[in-house]
Amino acid sequence: MPLWYETGVKNEHLAVLKSAGIFDTSHMACIFVGGKDAFALLNYCFTRQLSSLVPGRCVYGAFLDKKGCCIDDAIVYKFSGTRFLVCVNAGMGGVIAKHLESQSKAMDLEISDLSGKVAKMDIQGKNSAKILSRLLKNPDLVFGKMPYFSFKGSLSHGVLSEGTNQEEVTLLDGTPILLSRSGYTGEFGFEIFLDPAAILSLWKDTLIAGAPFGITACGLGARDSLRTGACLPLSHQDIGPWKFSNHPWEFALPYTLDNKGFSKDFLGAKALAPDKDDKFIYPFVGQTLRKVTAGDATRVLDETQENIGRVLTCATDMGIGLLGDKIISINTPGLPLDLKITGISCGFVMVSKPLEPGSKLTLNEGKRSIDVTVATDIRPDRTARMKLDNFI
Amino acid sequence: MKEISDLNFSENVKYTKDHEWAKLSKDIVTIGLSDYAQDQLGEIVFVELPEVGDIFTKGDEFGSVESVKAVSEVYLPVSGEVVEINAALEDNPELVNEDCYEGGWLIRLKPDDLSELDDLMDKAAYLDMLKG
Repeated sequence: MPLWYETGVKNEHLAVLKSAGIFDTSHMACIFVGGKDAFALLNYCFTRQLSSLVPGRCVYGAFLDKKGCCIDDAIVYKFSGTRFLVCVNAGMGGVIAKHLESQSKAMDLEISDLSGKVAKMDIQGKNSAKILSRLLKNPDLVFGKMPYFSFKGSLSHGVLSEGTNQEEVTLLDGTPILLSRSGYTGEFGFEIFLDPAAILSLWKDTLIAGAPFGITACGLGARDSLRTGACLPLSHQDIGPWKFSNHPWEFALPYTLDNKGFSKDFLGAKALAPDKDDKFIYPFVGQTLRKVTAGDATRVLDETQENIGRVLTCATDMGIGLLGDKIISINTPGLPLDLKITGISCGFVMVSKPLEPGSKLTLNEGKRSIDVTVATDIRPDRTARMKLDNFI
Repeated sequence: MKEISDLNFSENVKYTKDHEWAKLSKDIVTIGLSDYAQDQLGEIVFVELPEVGDIFTKGDEFGSVESVKAVSEVYLPVSGEVVEINAALEDNPELVNEDCYEGGWLIRLKPDDLSELDDLMDKAAYLDMLKG
């Protein structure tokens, strides 16, 4: 996946917000976990409550170590009570497979690292379903009902060749695919898993089918700016070898309804108890599109000019702007027609003290400083969760 | 990023080792970024320029160019007083990518010492430098 294709990051980012973009995500790794104890192992190692997950549904969460630090985030797909797929980040297939094995003493199960055996591409943007409809044999059946974070279909061979009891999803030439209503942009769209032999022609066919909709191939730059605007973390940058707590993604932890504890025991749970050295991760939004470099070279100054932390991510969401104090996006309804949206910097900071939303910070890198505000969310009016009917 | 052989190098300007160009016309020097510089930077999203009337010495940092990838300071090849800045770059910073020797110019200076231009490289010397 390159940084960007011919038209550049801004155009790719906006294409996803306005219409559709595709991402070559075959670098991501998949692990099959099967057998009688597959559920028990995953429910212990994964931070989400898997007992309420039904076949054909998937869920986002993390794998922690015993110190409560994040090894990697992942999406777990349930095919059946004894068959699960775990999709992790690039290069992490072996690591997570070994981690699961280390927790599986005397368990009846199969763990297969499918790295390199499953190809993947994402299509994201409001025209994703319309474009995919032109590529599938049975679009009416597939898109009849497909809630957010559900999946259908299977691969043509290997451990994932038996789907759930739901409909098959095949391309026009009969190639079966696993289609998941999920993604990393915050916008309506899908992730497609399929045999590596079929990905190149699917990529090309998608660009052709999507041409009337202005579909664009999107690289790593747009992938990063879109996910940041969608307030999603990047593993090993926003989540990583530190306590997986006090961050914007606490929905990944199995808190009880009253938020007082966890609904299950899981690896790392006890280490998440608050202590005095805790850090806090917050989303922030700037005033203009100007960014700073994330990392040690940049200081995070609070209102008293004290350096309280570091910048984990800083990107520009080209599709957002500020109307007074309010963040708006190109998809926000009811905006004045002459309003120009030119992008705003955004990202995540890790600081040593809790901050209220609306707190002002200065991110200072050498001679450059940008003023930012702690936020609870970044790009508004995202389309990922909206009912599929809106997009067919 | 492109190969050097695919980049464009104007014959009519002189170049600096920091990839700026300078062109003298009727006692005014126009300054910009070379095609190599804009290609390396990637899509430019913001250009920070000085004010008209600002006075600089050769080698001073006079502004910065921010792309999706990075921020790059820009340095003056000659000393002088800023007489004009390219206002079009405020709304269309991508002009630096699209038309770096013409529409994407950065500032115009009234130079103090025209002999400073002799220290700059012509196209051939700049190309040699790029090819290493």
